[in-house]
Amino acid sequence: MSRDELNASEREELAALDRILAREPVGEQHLELAALVDSVRAGAPRMDPAFAERLDARLAAHRRRGGAAGARVARPGIRRLALAGSGLVAAAVAFTIVISSGVLSGGTTHPPAPANGPALSILPRKAPGATTTPTGATSAFAGSSVGAVPSTNLSVGRSLSARLVHRDSALTLATSPASMQSVANRIVAATEQRGGVVESSNVAIQGPASHASFSLAVPTGRLGSLIAALSSLASVRALNQNSNDITSSYNAEQARLADNVAARAALLKALATAATATQQASIQKQLNRLAARIAAEQRELDRLLGQGHTATLHVSVVAGASAKHAKASAGPFTTAFHRALHALEEILAIALVVLAIVLPFALTALALWWGATAVRQRARERAMRTA
Amino acid sequence: MTVIAALPTSGPGAGEQFEQLYRSSAADVYAYVASLLRDRTAAEDVTALAFERAFRRRALFDVRRGTPRSWLFAIARNAALDELRKRRRTGALLHEIADPSTELEDLDSELAERRLLVREGLASLEPRDREVILLKFVGRLSNAELARVLRCSESNAGTRLHRAIERLREVCGVTR
Repeated sequence: MSRDELNASEREELAALDRILAREPVGEQHLELAALVDSVRAGAPRMDPAFAERLDARLAAHRRRGGAAGARVARPGIRRLALAGSGLVAAAVAFTIVISSGVLSGGTTHPPAPANGPALSILPRKAPGATTTPTGATSAFAGSSVGAVPSTNLSVGRSLSARLVHRDSALTLATSPASMQSVANRIVAATEQRGGVVESSNVAIQGPASHASFSLAVPTGRLGSLIAALSSLASVRALNQNSNDITSSYNAEQARLADNVAARAALLKALATAATATQQASIQKQLNRLAARIAAEQRELDRLLGQGHTATLHVSVVAGASAKHAKASAGPFTTAFHRALHALEEILAIALVVLAIVLPFALTALALWWGATAVRQRARERAMRTA
Repeated sequence: MTVIAALPTSGPGAGEQFEQLYRSSAADVYAYVASLLRDRTAAEDVTALAFERAFRRRALFDVRRGTPRSWLFAIARNAALDELRKRRRTGALLHEIADPSTELEDLDSELAERRLLVREGLASLEPRDREVILLKFVGRLSNAELARVLRCSESNAGTRLHRAIERLREVCGVTR
């Protein structure tokens, strides 16, 4: 039996006590308890009639003063408030996520820009102490991140210490025939803004059959930014992104070049010590073959490095109802709905930020209030013990 | 005893309900507070304060957490305990109540003797035991209401009450 449990007779006595207090008849065995209750009640202090009158007057005055102020709107309990708040926050978060994911807007939102980080970029590091042989090659991508990459001839005989990756993407956009030319122009402008070049293009304005295609080359580090910019020009129908690691090809080519360079050095030494004209002619012949091979390997290395530096992006623009066009041609209710949805999304985002700021303060205040209440209650209980 | 199930905070019945609660409880609240404080003047102040506080906070009353009577007694109890804390801090003296209504001359000697015995026995009890008896006998609270005021479970309130009654019997030399 726990400390709080009473036995049957004790429970019966408490039930009898309730009957006594309700002035109901009880059995003979409880008459002693009734007498005890009577004695306690008779000994309890009684209100002085004068005080009763004063109390009436005081409360009447109090009610007149604070009647309106006192009738506050009933407040829900803290637990209900906390539950409602949590539910609201969860709903806001869920709704914002759903809206941001584009589910409600039919999946026509622009895809996120691919990462521009070094993971997919080319990124050989210049080997310390590498021999340099200027080749006079120029980069079409001045100012790009590629500038950090060493030229092919800078590191003969050394492998890349980072990965060399070629990136190749294809983007299909849809826009209205009327805006085909404008979109095409903006594709070219966006590419050039990012230090890229249009390798080939084809724009055909033929009413509903209008189409355009572009082959773009852009510094690898700016591919993501370019895709994001182009995605904002029209509705994205498809996006394919491929990457091809060419590090091993580059390293193999570089090793072959180093071998040939070493062989050429040996042949040059041999040429210097050749005794006969026949020997000299033979060595010279070998040197000429080697020079041709070295030149070809240099070109191959340049090509591979160029592939790593430069990403290609194939853009196709087809005529069709883009999301923007669809919005424009949609009825006023649909437009209003989309605008309302957008406004709601913004409001929820702001609300979340505000909540993130306010919530810690509110929780701290709640904890302080709870602590103060607990301390006060303990002090009251102490006062009772020492009363 | 009039039982008020709920305490509406607005509407035409709000004022009447509070008035009803006041009329049905004022004497009991005063008796409880005065017994706790043992000072008539302080008891009057605390009683008035408790009703004023209850009127101000009537919007916060939640019927699911107890009856209006238990809510009122909880407010009165807190006010009385705050008064006790204040007295302890200021070192004020307690003045034992000599209630004229408890004059015993007119009663037959046996009844007078028993009431005197019970009064003295009650005064000699531990404050916590005395309080639970006052809330039950004077405040006429149910065990559930008692639990609400004392912030404990109903079964614990019942146990505390029963033990307090046993101790009162013991100090009064009453046998069952």
